[in-house]
Order: sequence, then C-alpha cells, then structure tokens
Amino acid sequence: MDMFGVILLIALFLIIIILSVSFLIIYNNFVRLRNNISKSLANIDVLLKQRSNEIPNLVKTVKGYMKHEKEVLESLTKARSFLINSDTLSQKAAADNAITGLVKSIFAIAENYPDLKAGENFLKLQKRITGLENELADRREFYNDSVTIYNIRIQSIPDLVVARMMHLNPIDLFKATKKDQEKVDINLK
Amino acid sequence: MFIQFLVFRIFISALGIGLFVWAIISFKNKRLIENIPTSKIRSIAMGLVEIYGEVVGRKDNILKSPFSQKDCVYYRYKIEEYRSSGKSSHWATIRKGSDYVYFYIKDDTGMVLIDPKDAKIDIPADNVFNSSIGKDPSFKIQQFLQREKVRFEGSIFGINRTLRYTEYFIEPYDKLYILGTAADNPFVKDASTFKGVDDVIIKKGKHEKFYYISDRSEKMILSRLNLIVLCGFVFGSLLIILGIISFIW
Repeated sequence: MDMFGVILLIALFLIIIILSVSFLIIYNNFVRLRNNISKSLANIDVLLKQRSNEIPNLVKTVKGYMKHEKEVLESLTKARSFLINSDTLSQKAAADNAITGLVKSIFAIAENYPDLKAGENFLKLQKRITGLENELADRREFYNDSVTIYNIRIQSIPDLVVARMMHLNPIDLFKATKKDQEKVDINLK
Repeated sequence: MFIQFLVFRIFISALGIGLFVWAIISFKNKRLIENIPTSKIRSIAMGLVEIYGEVVGRKDNILKSPFSQKDCVYYRYKIEEYRSSGKSSHWATIRKGSDYVYFYIKDDTGMVLIDPKDAKIDIPADNVFNSSIGKDPSFKIQQFLQREKVRFEGSIFGINRTLRYTEYFIEPYDKLYILGTAADNPFVKDASTFKGVDDVIIKKGKHEKFYYISDRSEKMILSRLNLIVLCGFVFGSLLIILGIISFIW
C-alpha cells in the first residue's frame, strides 16, 4: 500500500470514530432533552397543584366581602375544577390562563375593600399566590425554552438523522389552543 | 538520534490523540450547555440547572486575593520561575494554590447560594506580576511570599530570581455563568419555607460530573467550545495521521 492509501485509510478510520462518537453524544442528548422536558412539565404541575390548593382558601377569605362579584368567584372555582380534570397540555394551559386572569381580577377588586385588603389572611394568601404565579411564569418559560431547543434540534442537521432513527416528533409548547381556550371561556360563562 | 526521533513520533501521536479526546469532551460539554435553558433564580428546580447572575459576597466571609489583596470569593494563583539550560528555557511552576468561600448569585428574580467546591472554574488571569534582577516584587507579594515561605531572592549573592506571579479571582459584582446541580441547602433547617429559594444551593451533583463556573457569557463560552471542537478534530486528526505515518516509514 502506498503512502496515499495509508493516509486515506487512517482518515477514513478517524472519520468513522468522529461519526460514531457524534452519534452517541447526539443520542444521549436527545434522551436528556426529553427527560428535561418531562421534568420541567412535572415542575409546572407541582406549582399548578399548589396554586389550585390555595384557591378554596382565597374564595373563602374574600366571599364575605365580594357579594356583588359572586360570578368571578364561581368562575374561579369552575376554572379550578377544569384544571384538575384537564387531560391535555393545551387544556391545562387554557385553565391556567383563566385562573391567572381571574386571580388578577380578584386582587384588583380587593382594592375596593380596604378591610379585606388589610386582613392578615388575605395578605398572606395574596403573597403566596403572587409568588406561585411568578414561579409558574418562569417555569412555563423554561418549559417552552426546553421544548424549543428540542424541536429545533430534531429538525436540524446532523441531529435530524438520529432523531429520525429514534422516531422523535415535535413536542407542543405550554400554550392553549384556540379551541381549548374557548372551551374554558364557555365553561366559565 | 533514533531515540530522539522515536520520542518525537510518540509525542506527535500522543498530542494528536489528546487533542482528539479534548475535542470529543468539548463537543459533549457544548451540547450540554446548549441544551439547558437558563433558569430564573426564584424558580430553580432541583437537578442540573444553568444560571447567570452577579456575585454577592458575604461581608463576614470574604477572601483576599493573594497578590493584589482584593476582596474575592474565590482565588487561584501560581508562582513560576524562569529556568534556562543551554538553548532551551521555560517557566516552571514552583507554587500554586486556591481557596474559596460560599457566595451568592443574584439575578433580577432572586439570590441563590453557591458552593464552588470541585467546580471547573474557567476565568482569565486577573493580574500577572513579575520580579527579576533589579526588580523586587511589591510589598503585598513579599508579605504573601513570606507567609508561604517562598524566597524571591536566589541563594547566590541574594540576586533576585526571575519569578512570575499570576492570580485569578472572582470578585463581588462579577457576572458569572454557572452550570451545576441545584440541591437542598443544608444550612436552611426548614425546607418547607415559602418561596423555597433560600432552600437551594448550587453545587457539584452526585451523579452530574459537570460543574462549570465562568465569567464569560454563554455565547462566548459556546463560541470558544466550537473553536476547540473544530481545531481539536482537525489538528488532532492531522497529528494522528502524521504520527502513524512516521511510525510506518
């Protein structure tokens, strides 16, 4: 074998090593990415549940004051049950949007009731729920970032090849579809 | 001559393999950094996390950098001596060391405790000082050398040795990128306190080997890793080919 042949053989061998190692790294990355997405969704669920658990307390605390805003409180209770019974990511997101909006309305209405606003219980709840809302917003953003990275990866070269072999499909963002949002809105009405 | 050539061939091959492996490790790390979005500190979840924020030191627990005596939360130093024999010369490290304290990282949402133990701390040198014949080290350096029992004067007529003092440190207000494992903070007794942020500490995980701290932005870290991957694969491959050919012929 001449020198050129040897060089070609070694180069080929190195290319095979590079490709094999890249395949392994990309494969493991997909496993990690999918696990990260599942974990970040589970982390959202934890906070959604924690916030849901606070809703009955909030309703109980403000009920005595907000007699004229009864429908807002009823809607909040309905949205909570919708969230508990939701099966899909989009339904969860729709219920979450509704709860976020209704909680904001209750806090805004509470401004008209100085006694309620000054109450220790209400203040504690407001702080707790606002804290949970902020964390939820961060985790939603984190989940959507993780999903975006994953969706871009499975559609770009060279990851695309490995993704096809693993039968990977794009994952939905934490976002309500129009249909589910309407469903929640109708339910609340 | 034959032995020298043999050593050269082994060196070339080993260097090639080293570069190649370095490229593979860098590629793995690059992917890891790319795949993890940056978390807001107030909503950090347990496990491997990436954060970016400003260093907040604790006034009661702060270090002084060895040569410039600046407040810092981490430092690393090395003292090298210039040595020459015949035509060749090089800097030989005669003393090195490091120290750290726990510190906080703050972003616009909160603050989290950092335990930098066992982290790969990737920061450029902050100060490089020299001393040589006719040039004594500064008073602060002399104090440090005295404590560490290192002489800057040589044994012959007390003539100064040619020394180089390099220090790397992380100061309060430095911006840091951290990729590490979020775990329960052992210093907080009640883990069920509201918000949970104080319950978290970033450290090296039991299962995650990668713990990285840098004062560069994520973008800069990634472009550097890209360069390492590219150069490592290209030059590593070339050196391996050269090494093997030199063994055959």
